[in-house]
Formats: sequence, structure tokens, C-alpha cells
Amino acid sequence: MNQKPLALKILDVVSIILLFTAAYLAIFVAPTERVMGDVQRVFYFHVGTAWVALIGFVFTAGLSVVYLVTKDLKWDRIQVAAVEVSVMFFLITIILGSIWARPAWNTWWTWDPRLTTAAITELIYIAYFMLRQGIDDPNRRARFGAVYVLIGGLSAPITFFAIRLFRTIHPVVIAGSNTAAEGNFSMTDDMVRIFLFALFAFTVIFVDLFWNRIRLGEAQEKVEEMKLKAAW
Amino acid sequence: MFFQETTPDTSGYMIAGYAITLLILSIYVASLFIRNRNLRQDMAMLAEMEKPAAAEPKPKKRAGKPVTKKGRKK
Amino acid sequence: MARRSSQPSAIRRQRTASAQPSGKFLKAIGAILWKDLRAEFRSWELISAMLVFSLLIILIFNFALELDVKTRQSVTAGVLWSTFAFAGTLGLNRSMAIEKDRGCLDGLLLAPVDRSAIYFGKFFSNLAFMLIVEIIVLPVYSLLYNTNLFQPGLMLVILLGSVGYTAVGTLLAAMSVQTRTRDILLPILLFPVAFAVLLAAVKASGGFLDGAEFSEVAFPIDLLITYDVIFIAVSFMVFDNIVEE
Repeated sequence: MNQKPLALKILDVVSIILLFTAAYLAIFVAPTERVMGDVQRVFYFHVGTAWVALIGFVFTAGLSVVYLVTKDLKWDRIQVAAVEVSVMFFLITIILGSIWARPAWNTWWTWDPRLTTAAITELIYIAYFMLRQGIDDPNRRARFGAVYVLIGGLSAPITFFAIRLFRTIHPVVIAGSNTAAEGNFSMTDDMVRIFLFALFAFTVIFVDLFWNRIRLGEAQEKVEEMKLKAAW
Repeated sequence: MFFQETTPDTSGYMIAGYAITLLILSIYVASLFIRNRNLRQDMAMLAEMEKPAAAEPKPKKRAGKPVTKKGRKK
Repeated sequence: MARRSSQPSAIRRQRTASAQPSGKFLKAIGAILWKDLRAEFRSWELISAMLVFSLLIILIFNFALELDVKTRQSVTAGVLWSTFAFAGTLGLNRSMAIEKDRGCLDGLLLAPVDRSAIYFGKFFSNLAFMLIVEIIVLPVYSLLYNTNLFQPGLMLVILLGSVGYTAVGTLLAAMSVQTRTRDILLPILLFPVAFAVLLAAVKASGGFLDGAEFSEVAFPIDLLITYDVIFIAVSFMVFDNIVEE
């Protein structure tokens, strides 16, 4: 199989540098938030990973359509990679959200709209892998996976609106300095800059892991081909 | 005017948060690495298996020829 | 000697042309629905299982939740919809499994009809079974807990909720029955996706049972209708991809 392309090797290094830079900025450079203290610093990574994961999920829905139209298995491989990496990032999002919730609202978990939708969305994409596991034929696996991602992806925003039937205690950060809901805070300029840097860093890290995962999928396919040939 | 409340020390939670983030990312990268290595090993093994399979038929043909010649003579 | 028809040929052509595609489609749906209903009314396999299961669930909830009169009021909607969701899964699973095991699915696929007709046929039969079970469970629950569940608002919510649940459920059951893990997989696939329906249905049901104004229940009902429309449309569009060989 091919050597890792130079671009990817460079991207690997850049990703690691960006990750640690973002962490350093968030932990040591950003100003301390007055009401919550240091735990607010997880916010930079919490939103960074959430943003990247959600875009990833939307991207997978698009990939579904592309696969169903072209029936080219390449898109299926890309979809698996996108779902896997997005699920991993979203897991970080949920855990960081929980860690933030504990000192802020005095509870590890709340059943408010965003957290509950997050949990359900994560379960949808985990179910994707369970669905794929039960199918041996690669074409059928790809088709079913694509259909499920489409259905699941459509249901997630609707679920979000459904859960808003209940009141929310999740902070609304961007809406100026409305501190009515607990846990809100308004961002100073440095915070905004570090926050944007973290977003950028996670985008790069996502692309890096995504690319690596696609190559893994290609290697898997190569091995399957070779196994079939050997069976002859 | 009230005294301002002191900022609570929640650094423990912050450390936990960053540690878990790093942990999950590391586990994922490790899983990519391990899966990749396993696949390369499988590939190497399968490539090995292909080589002798290609080499086998030749000796059999050579062994077959003298037998048929004897048969024809008779 | 053949006699020429007295009708002008243009009208004849128009009639046969329009009778073909949509007529066949509806006929196919009707045929599948009728087949399922007939088979079920002979064996009572599905409905009896779903009914017994529902009653057992209600019994379990009774012990699990310590329902005194006050609590009962607030959890009735939740208990009802949990029951319908689980019994619905049972029905969906069995309905598709019967199709596959008896080779009916293959037979249907060979028929010269649009694949989505199969989807709608199964959708309507699954919906019928779910509604029948719900119609029976409602009076039983009413009797057991001395609450009157026969309100028009509640009926509407049950209909809308069941439609949404069955719309997605039929599609996902068609998928899961073709995997190795079969029955176990359907709830895992279905519940996260149907969460919105169940939630909106519970909210709306609760609202009606509490005697709320229609304006308060409007949002969940809108959500239900939206969900139903979107998912019936999407499901029937992608159903082809599920049953190809």
C-alpha cells in the first residue's frame, strides 16, 4: 500500500501543534471568568468540538445523497470515516458539557433540549455502526448505511425543536450579556479570539483525522480484495 | 453595596476536562494506528501467500512430461 | 368479425393511458394491505401478541411507578406512549419478518409495480395493526385507572403519532429484517429517530388530558404533522434502495 503522502504527514504535525497551542491559550492566556472560575475554560474545546462534529454530521447526510445517486463505494468509505470522526468529537463535546454542568448547575446531567438532543444524535450515529456490523454484502451495507444516516440526520433537528417544548437551562452565550439563565457569560475580545482559534484548530484536526481514517478504509478494502483473490 | 463573591476554584474540573479530551483523542489516534498496522500485516501475509501460489504449477508440468512420453512409446 | 368500438379512438387512448400507472399503484397498495389484513384476521398472530405485550407493560408500569391518583394524572401520557412504542416495535418486527420468511417480499419485488407501493402497502397495514391495538388498550387503561381517555383531541394525537412512528418504523424494519441481528436492531435504529414523535405525542396527549387550551397544544401537534409529512415523503423516496437485490 502507498506511503503516507507528505501533505498528510505535515498535516499531522500541524494538527498536534494547533491542539496544544489552543489548549495553552485556553488554559493560561484566556482571562478567568468571574462567576464560574476555571471550569469555563473547557468551553473553548466544548464548542470547538461541537461545531466540528455537527458540521461533520451534516456533511455525512450530503454524502448519503451522493452515494445513493452514484452507487460508488468510494463515497461509502468517506461516509464511514466522517461518521466515525464526528462521533468521536461529539463524545468529547458531551463529556465536556457534563463537566461544565457540574459546578455550574450542580448536576452532572440535565435533560434540557441541547444535551438531550446531543445524546440522541450520538446514539443515532452509534446505531449506524451497529447496522453496518450486521450486514456482510458491501453494497447493501453502503445503501442501508446511507439511508439510515439520511433518516437520522433529518430527525435530529426535528428532535431539537421537539425538546424545546421544555424550558432550557443551557447557556446562550452569543446572545449578548443576558445572564438570566444560569451559567451564561459574555465574552471579552480576547476570549472571542481564542475561541475562534480553537474553532480553527479543531477544523484542521478534524480534516487530519478524517483523511487518515479514509486511508484506513482504503487499506481495508485492499485487504478484502486480496482475501477474495486468495480464496480463489 | 455588596462585596463581590470570590471566584470559585473550579480548576479541578478544568483539568479533568482537558485530560479527558486528550485521552479520547489519543485513544482514537491509537486505534487508527493499531488498525492500520494490523491491516499492513494482513496485506504482507496475503502478499506472501500469493507468491508461492504463482510458483507452484511449474514443477508439476515438468514432472508430467516424461510420463506421457513413455505412454506414447508403448 | 370484430366490431369497431363506438367511442372515438382519442378518448379510448386517454382512458387507458391514465388508468395504467396510478391505478396499478393504488391497486398494489390495496392488495398488500388486504393480504396483510386477511392473514392477520385469520391468525390474530400480531395483534394478540401486541395486545398482551401492551397489557403487561401497563402492569409493569403500575408497579414501577407507584401510581397514586395524583401521579397517575401526570404520567398517563408517558405510560401510554411508552406502551405504544414497545408494542409497535413488536408489530413492525413481526410484520416484516413474516414477509421475509414466507418469501412474500421476493414475490412482491418480482411484481411489475413501483417499489414504493410495497412501502405504502406495508405502512398502511402496520398502521392498521397499531391503531387496532391502541383502540383496545385505551378503554382497558381507562377501566384500570378510572380515567376517561376517550377525548377527540387525544384520538387525534394518537393517530398522528402512530402515523409518524409507523412511517419511519416500516422503513427501518425493512432494513433491520435483512441484517444478521434482525429483531434486536429495530429498536436501536428506531427509538432515536422516533424520539421527536414520541416526545411531541406525549406532550400533546398530556395537554389534552389536562384539558389544556388548543393554543397550548398547537406546537406539538404542528410538530407531529410536520414530522409525519417529512418522513412519509423521505421514506417512500428511499425505499427503493432498501429492497433492491
